[in-house]
Amino acid sequence: MGANKLSAEDVRRLYDQHGPALMAYARGFVPDAAAAEDVVHQVFLRLLSAELTMPDAPVAYVYRAVRNAALNARRSGLRLTELDPQSSVFRHRGGNQEAALALEKALAELPEEQREVVVMRMWSGLTLEEIAAAAGAPLNTIASRYRYALEKLRVKLRPYERSVNGAMENGKQRQEI
Amino acid sequence: MGQWKMENNDRKFEEYLGEFQPRKPRALPEQIVRRQVWPRRIAAAAAIAISLGASMWFARKKHELNSGEVVARNLTSMAEAKSPARALALVPLTQLALQDPEQLDAQLTAASPTVLPDFRASDSTLRVLAKE
Repeated sequence: MGANKLSAEDVRRLYDQHGPALMAYARGFVPDAAAAEDVVHQVFLRLLSAELTMPDAPVAYVYRAVRNAALNARRSGLRLTELDPQSSVFRHRGGNQEAALALEKALAELPEEQREVVVMRMWSGLTLEEIAAAAGAPLNTIASRYRYALEKLRVKLRPYERSVNGAMENGKQRQEI
Repeated sequence: MGQWKMENNDRKFEEYLGEFQPRKPRALPEQIVRRQVWPRRIAAAAAIAISLGASMWFARKKHELNSGEVVARNLTSMAEAKSPARALALVPLTQLALQDPEQLDAQLTAASPTVLPDFRASDSTLRVLAKE
């Protein structure tokens, strides 16, 4: 009976593995990073305090739960922590916080389904096939969403890119993944 | 399915995006008391059973009351059917008075033992009053 329950360990593992990506995802629905953190935290607290049956696709399940909680938070206008205008969901490896804020803003401006695909792939580490299964959409649709999203992000982050600009101007080689 | 192809500049841009990492949300508390689901399920089942029982009891009670009304109504209609007053309806008697007064007298006389109080019984009120 315990085997098909979502245990506290499962919840904590999901939180460690996908919590950061879920924050980036939630940030698209709520006005700032602190609110996104609140949303993710609240969702996982609820998961911890409830006895739930293990969903078929736990990652997709927590994404849906975070989405619903974020939409509720946005509707109610609740803010549980103080807003820090300098806080960002993202940290840039090279310390370019301006670029991190630009990425956060650009992600928030993407259509929801495109943002979901980018976040799931880039920061939850899911393959496009796994995302297609989680979203219940055909792989080609997911791939298109991903491409469109990358294109929009590229345009918005162009001013901040330095290391990859040269490479991006090279010819379009196609690789099979 | 697996034939999805990615352009080289997309890969490069992915690498660039990889330079950004979302920060970790604050840690979850160590101790969380898990809500037990089964007591709530039992409570819900009990509430449903009680409400079902109550509604069935009320339904049965109402049915019994309705049956009583039906019996009473039947008794009333039977009594009305047997009532001599039914035989002494106003319109036929009026017609009879116009057409055949003697027949009317005979009919009233015949009906009187059932319509009028009987003063012949020993404990009849009329008999007692008549003596006084």
